Amino acid sequence: MDLVARAVFVFAFMLLLTRVIGKRELGSLQPFDLILLIVLGDALQQGLTQDDYSLTGAVLVVGTIAVLQILVSWLSYRFPRTRPIFEGEPLIIVEDGKPIERNLKRERLTVEEIAEAARLEQIAHLADVQWAILETSGQISFIPKK
Amino acid sequence: MTDVPDTLVLKRHRDLEGIGNNGILVRRGVVAAIAALAVLGLLNVFGQRPVTARVSVPAATFSVYAPTAVRGGDFMEARFHITAKQELRKAQVLLDPGWAEGMSLNTVEPTPLGQASDDGRLSFDLGHIPKGKSFILFLQFQVNPTNLAWRRPQDVDLVDGGRVLAHVHRTITVYP
Repeated sequence: MDLVARAVFVFAFMLLLTRVIGKRELGSLQPFDLILLIVLGDALQQGLTQDDYSLTGAVLVVGTIAVLQILVSWLSYRFPRTRPIFEGEPLIIVEDGKPIERNLKRERLTVEEIAEAARLEQIAHLADVQWAILETSGQISFIPKK
Repeated sequence: MTDVPDTLVLKRHRDLEGIGNNGILVRRGVVAAIAALAVLGLLNVFGQRPVTARVSVPAATFSVYAPTAVRGGDFMEARFHITAKQELRKAQVLLDPGWAEGMSLNTVEPTPLGQASDDGRLSFDLGHIPKGKSFILFLQFQVNPTNLAWRRPQDVDLVDGGRVLAHVHRTITVYP
């Protein structure tokens, strides 16, 4: 019982954490973020299973997390109003070549970061971008001017 | 006006109408709450730094040095320090059952002359302590991962020949 309760708590806490960290941090895995992710996983595992090395324990924890993940996914599919809560919403950050400062500030994004993401998409100038959208995954998608 | 990408609504996804500052405020609130938890951790609210409780009576000085808050899986030590101001012929330390509840008692050093139950309390016979001498009893524990407690009593008595010389009141909180 303890393991399932721990798994539910950790899942809820991680869901909350990923929602407050911000989209961009999640979307851009820099080397430091990658190391942090591994450390995070290790710290969580210890709190989750502690000294339980059993197969039953592993199945209980993984099963609980899988069921919760499916539940969240079903909720956001079945009730669209919950989607912004669980997944967030896309945000327009460039319109007609001009960065929207208010939205950049909201996501702690700089113009340099958008330009970098644009270069990765073979776009040399933001002026050539009609729309840039910070997606819920943290990726930036670009729609060039026609 | 240029075509807006499908499923995007300018008022909402560009002008943030309906989203406003609420999202930001909630996010800041949650971050503040998480930061507050970290600060409370630094302040030893969640253990397991030990604290000293000391009682001085004409016969002895008695101090208990142990954490008052721990977390599941932690290792902890309790130190019982008796300094005899008068000769103690049959010194005993009596512990509330809360000391052993949900804990693995790994070590008792030095080994007491005897261990027993005294009306449900844990009794350790220390024997003779000459005037002016000290006796330090160490107990080492590990907190069982499923142990949970909020201010569980962990009182300690110092007894000599059946007479309670000193009483230390303390509690322990075990966080998950």
